[in-house]
Amino acid sequence: MKVAPQRDRQVTSEDSQMPRRRVLAWLSGFGLFASGLLAVLSDWLFFKPRVTYGPSARFAIGKPDDFPPGTRIARDVERVCIVREGNKMAAISTTCTHLGCIVAISDTGFACPCHGSHYDQDGNVTGGPAPKPLPWFQVTLAPNGDVVIDKNASVDPGTYLTV
Amino acid sequence: MTPTQEPPTQKSGTALATLRELPQNVWNSIFRNPLPSTDLERSSTSFTNFFLHIHPVKVNKNTLRPTYTMGLGLIATFLFVILVVTGVLLMFYYVPSTTQAYDRMLDLRGTVAFGIFLRNMHRWSAHGMVAIVFLHMCRVYFTGAYKRPREFNWVLGVLLLLVTLFLSFTGYLLPWDQLAFWAITVGTSIAGYAPLVGKQMQFVLLGDTTVGQEALLRFYVLHVAVLPAVLVLMMAIHFWRIRKDGGLSRPEVAAAPAPDAGVVKLKKVYGLQGFVRGPFTKLGNVPDNSVYSWPNLLMAELFVFVLTISLILVVSLLFNAPLEQPVNIMHPPNPAKAPWYFLGLQEMVSYSAFWGGIGIPGLMVAMLFAVPYIDRTTHGVGKWFAKERLLANTIFLTLVILNVIFIAIGTFFRGPNWTLVSPF
Amino acid sequence: MRLPLAIASLVVLIVHGVVFRNQFFHEWERHQTAYIEQARSMSKNDHERAELEARAPRIEQIIVTSFGDTHVDRCTTCHLAADDPRFGGHAEPLKSHPYSAAMGDVQRNGQWERRHKFSDFGCTVCHDGQGRGLDTFYSHGQDEFWPDPLTGYVTQPNWRKDFSPKLKGKEYMEANCAQCHTEEAFAGTPHVERGRKLFYAMNCYGCHKIDGMSEGTLGPDLTEAGKKFKVDYLWESIVEPRANLATSFMPDFHLQPADVESLVIFLKSRRGVNFAETSLDRYKAHVANVAVVIPPGTAGEKAGEQLLGDRACTACHKLGDKDGGIAPDLSYEGLIRDEQWVGDHFVNPRSRVPDSIMPAFRFPAEDFQRLTAYLESLKTPPPPVDAHATFVNLCARCHGEKGDGAGKVAWYIDPSPRDFTKPGFMASKPRARFVASIQEGVGGTSMPPWKRILKDEQIDGVLDYVMQTFAKEQFKELKTRNIPEKNPVASNPESIARGEQVFELRCNGCHGRKADGKGPNSLDIFPHPRNFRNHWFVESVPDRRLFESIEYGVQGTAMPSWMDMLNTNEVGDVINFIRSLQSGRK
Repeated sequence: MKVAPQRDRQVTSEDSQMPRRRVLAWLSGFGLFASGLLAVLSDWLFFKPRVTYGPSARFAIGKPDDFPPGTRIARDVERVCIVREGNKMAAISTTCTHLGCIVAISDTGFACPCHGSHYDQDGNVTGGPAPKPLPWFQVTLAPNGDVVIDKNASVDPGTYLTV
Repeated sequence: MTPTQEPPTQKSGTALATLRELPQNVWNSIFRNPLPSTDLERSSTSFTNFFLHIHPVKVNKNTLRPTYTMGLGLIATFLFVILVVTGVLLMFYYVPSTTQAYDRMLDLRGTVAFGIFLRNMHRWSAHGMVAIVFLHMCRVYFTGAYKRPREFNWVLGVLLLLVTLFLSFTGYLLPWDQLAFWAITVGTSIAGYAPLVGKQMQFVLLGDTTVGQEALLRFYVLHVAVLPAVLVLMMAIHFWRIRKDGGLSRPEVAAAPAPDAGVVKLKKVYGLQGFVRGPFTKLGNVPDNSVYSWPNLLMAELFVFVLTISLILVVSLLFNAPLEQPVNIMHPPNPAKAPWYFLGLQEMVSYSAFWGGIGIPGLMVAMLFAVPYIDRTTHGVGKWFAKERLLANTIFLTLVILNVIFIAIGTFFRGPNWTLVSPF
Repeated sequence: MRLPLAIASLVVLIVHGVVFRNQFFHEWERHQTAYIEQARSMSKNDHERAELEARAPRIEQIIVTSFGDTHVDRCTTCHLAADDPRFGGHAEPLKSHPYSAAMGDVQRNGQWERRHKFSDFGCTVCHDGQGRGLDTFYSHGQDEFWPDPLTGYVTQPNWRKDFSPKLKGKEYMEANCAQCHTEEAFAGTPHVERGRKLFYAMNCYGCHKIDGMSEGTLGPDLTEAGKKFKVDYLWESIVEPRANLATSFMPDFHLQPADVESLVIFLKSRRGVNFAETSLDRYKAHVANVAVVIPPGTAGEKAGEQLLGDRACTACHKLGDKDGGIAPDLSYEGLIRDEQWVGDHFVNPRSRVPDSIMPAFRFPAEDFQRLTAYLESLKTPPPPVDAHATFVNLCARCHGEKGDGAGKVAWYIDPSPRDFTKPGFMASKPRARFVASIQEGVGGTSMPPWKRILKDEQIDGVLDYVMQTFAKEQFKELKTRNIPEKNPVASNPESIARGEQVFELRCNGCHGRKADGKGPNSLDIFPHPRNFRNHWFVESVPDRRLFESIEYGVQGTAMPSWMDMLNTNEVGDVINFIRSLQSGRK
């Protein structure tokens, strides 16, 4: 004799007589369960914002001619450094990978005032507590001729846009 | 050989056993008893389970009759649950600021996933809840279910009605469109007519002399925090009182005659606790009119819930909640109408501000509170429109119909400048 | 119970499914996918192609805060090709936004550069519409509750069908250019300029105030008309002034649709704010009036003539071959009114005709003198013609060609011109009274004295003509009525107080509490009840006539006989009361 009670479910007397009841019960159960699942999925979609109200991650900076070769200029609002070498353009993030301060352009690359991280011209870490190199952002040429930077799309360092 | 239930000894082999038994142990620590399979087990579970013990173990057959209660109280409760859930979800995107509220409503309509649908659900459930609690009150009255010992529960019910109306009223302002702003301007002006304290009350309610940012913030806090908490508290007591009063009201049943002289006359009367836990585990000895809550009451509740939510879902799919022009404080719409449940009041107010807005409604509410203390008879309980209660029922029905007529006039027959118009 | 439960559960599931599905496959996603595919096929390098392949539809928005409140413009979610010049020939919504020199765009190295960059301006500041919406109906402002539908492209369903087609057209957008480009004669806003000129030329400036442009007070302030009202309301208010306010006395100027359109665009550009202006500029602009340049050495009359033309008096009046069709004919003004009258009337028209709707222009005193001098110089009488022609030339403008008091300008005149077709009235008055009215005019009304234009025989001729043609009556001997010549009741404070009581009880339903003819019943009565505050009129009427009107009533009007309800003393008290109003005591 088992101490734990049995786990068989159908002890009621109805089931042998009423398969219809079972079908209906299954339908109800399925309907409610599936609805619950859809509701949970819907909640996830609901909570994920489709728009945010801050500054856009994708922005135009001007025409290529606005950045003559040799340009290395930081845009503090968007936290990005525009680089042009010859006919190639790139955008390097100026957010320090350590704890998020804005790095300044230095003679040898970038330097962060907060905890002393140093980076070279391409954003590789040369000193300080920064764990990762500065990310490079995707630079594209929009159909109307503007140079567009997309901070949501990172590219491998060394990827340039040829203008 | 089955393993014993002694705690395992601390040998190296049992470390693995502990790990293997982990899932089962976790499960058993949460669900101490297996899923019940007999009536006794079901009774025990519904008695001891945290969520289920709000229900009695056994419930009178009459309680479950749809034509008796029509499940109105349950529908109201489920509508409230739907309102809380949808309301909390909407709170993630709404901002109670006069400059942002309307834009957020536009975003809920335009960009938020399921925004329109959730808002529709919230609005139609809100209107539904006001209507249903009113109908529930009518049901309770017409079945005489406010009589002794249920007087206080009736009083609680009237309070719940008032809180529900106030919840609906505070929520009405939040979209901050012309409809909301002017409806609340009209409504709070009526409050200002109360004698002595009227103007003070209006000032405290609005946080300012006119409806503006302060009013929006106060109404928001009332709507999402204070009033739901009060409502839940009072609902809890309302349900508790149902249990304490012996369940829902029902018609008196003549006691069944004793079958023969040989039956043991019990000297001590055991409550159901005794049946479930006590010495008498054989059920069916005492003739009674009740059935087990599990599964009968629970199934009834599930059914009412699914019916309610399916209705709300369909209505929300087909009809959009209104969003009118952004607030323009210099330009009231013509006519500026209060929400429908206050239109009867607004109609009366167009004749006399004090009597229509404060006097008559105040009198009606006072009468409602007083009903069970004035009607001390005990007959006619448990059935609809009992003949013994003709007078009481007639008075109430007349007032209900008058109320409905006034609301109908205010809705359909009043046009610009509150002149009488034909809706056809 | 189980069957309904199962059905309800399935309904719940179906609704969940439908709603869930509706969250995908939005209209804007389809447009974006179409754009991405087409852009890919047009693209010239692999890098771009790969990037487009990886691109998923997403909501695009431009947030702009430089124009007052925060604009969140999501238009580019569907109009994704707006800044892509390769899509110039496509259909909306994937069409490039046009470039043009008129919008300030320039071409550099063969490529157009936009002057009004989308990232700086967004879309709704120029186009209106609802930036936050993501489906066509709401985002284009077709929802009747949205105050700013897409200007010139969209009409809302509750707009009147008779003119809503005229509210479409790109020119309507000029109203929005003028939010920044407020200078007069800006090349990009010809319709605003035309509307501005019409605002002056049609004398709108006389009644309506626009900050920095005019100071009229008779009509509503239009400084922010464009912000408050939609174009359909503006159009309707011009072509049918009484559509929204039954008691408005704004004239119907019978403008051509092109003129109405220019005015609407001009008014729509009045937003009360100019984003390009500083508050100092706005303060400096707060000066009144159109500057009119009078060439030096011009005598007063010539200057007056020029002023009359520049100040758009003929928008209402008639003079020479110009006729506004709203106010009296000034062609013979020198023979009709004296200098004092004209001068007073200019400064405040209501000082001479208390119920006049002519605005009180705030011109400098010398301009009034010049205008008066000019009008007084109009002393050439009309050629003598027969009675019928005289009536048509001089009387019909107010009294109507049919003599029924419904002449061209009759609606704008208060008290209304007499209706000669009422035999009851015409036959009950002595001929001498009519002759006097024509010769001397009727004080406090627009009926002027004609004695310097019409000789006695002409007056007799016209009178006979009127009686025969319109009243179809003969002048008869009238029964002498038992009416005192002078008020037998002495005028003292007690009599006036008694008279006031009687007046409040009997008379103010029509004549108004203030005895100004604006009682609650007056709106339905024609001719309107007499305004007893019109002291020019009341003082010109002898006691006998007042007695007669009160005791016997005035046939042909709604004034009943009070003989059975008031005795002579009471009537005398009332007359004392009425006369007491004229000295300004009440």
